[in-house]
Amino acid sequence: MTEPMRLRCACGWEANGSEEELIVAATEHGEQVHNMRPTREEVMAMVITDPPDD
Amino acid sequence: MRTQEPPPWDVDGPVRGEVFLVWLNDDHLELTGPDGAVPWIMQLDDVEHPVEAVDRIVRGLVGAPLVVHSTSWRREGPAVLLSFVAVIGPEQAAGMASEPIPRATLARSEATRAPSAIGHAQVLEHGIRHLAWLAQDDEAVAHRLSPDWRRALGDYVPEPFRSLP
Repeated sequence: MTEPMRLRCACGWEANGSEEELIVAATEHGEQVHNMRPTREEVMAMVITDPPDD
Repeated sequence: MRTQEPPPWDVDGPVRGEVFLVWLNDDHLELTGPDGAVPWIMQLDDVEHPVEAVDRIVRGLVGAPLVVHSTSWRREGPAVLLSFVAVIGPEQAAGMASEPIPRATLARSEATRAPSAIGHAQVLEHGIRHLAWLAQDDEAVAHRLSPDWRRALGDYVPEPFRSLP
């Protein structure tokens, strides 16, 4: 099972979920709010990662 | 645990829209939007007219706006940013974060140069002054704004008649 990921738009909007869920949510957000359709690469490049503790 | 955050995903494109979604809360104006009380940034293309694009996007998210009007433009980084004031009703603002709009001084340009710095509050101040002028001068806009709205706009001195000798 893949770890859920988190993404944040410059406007502050955030989404959590699997890669496919993020693609769907970010595409919908981009089209509805910002009049743009992000590519898969653009969406995945903005995923926030939590590195392991030092 | 530390969080490594990449640069946030942002709108790109050479022409962008900056929409100030405003509404009348009893006796004062408030700013709202899908992202809260901040300018709403959207991408504009070379096909759809900017005003029609803003109207369509606002309509799709919160319903038909009462007024959409472009009020200024400026360059920001590599893009030209077109600023709009979009007026909506209180029922359309429900559910979105909203804050009263504070007054601000205008960003003054030189005779042949743009202002060196322009803040969002100044852009909004200019936009509402522009709307106040339209409410007096433009029948289509005046017709869409209620008497309460026009009263609230009365506090904003119409821009064309301000600071002239």
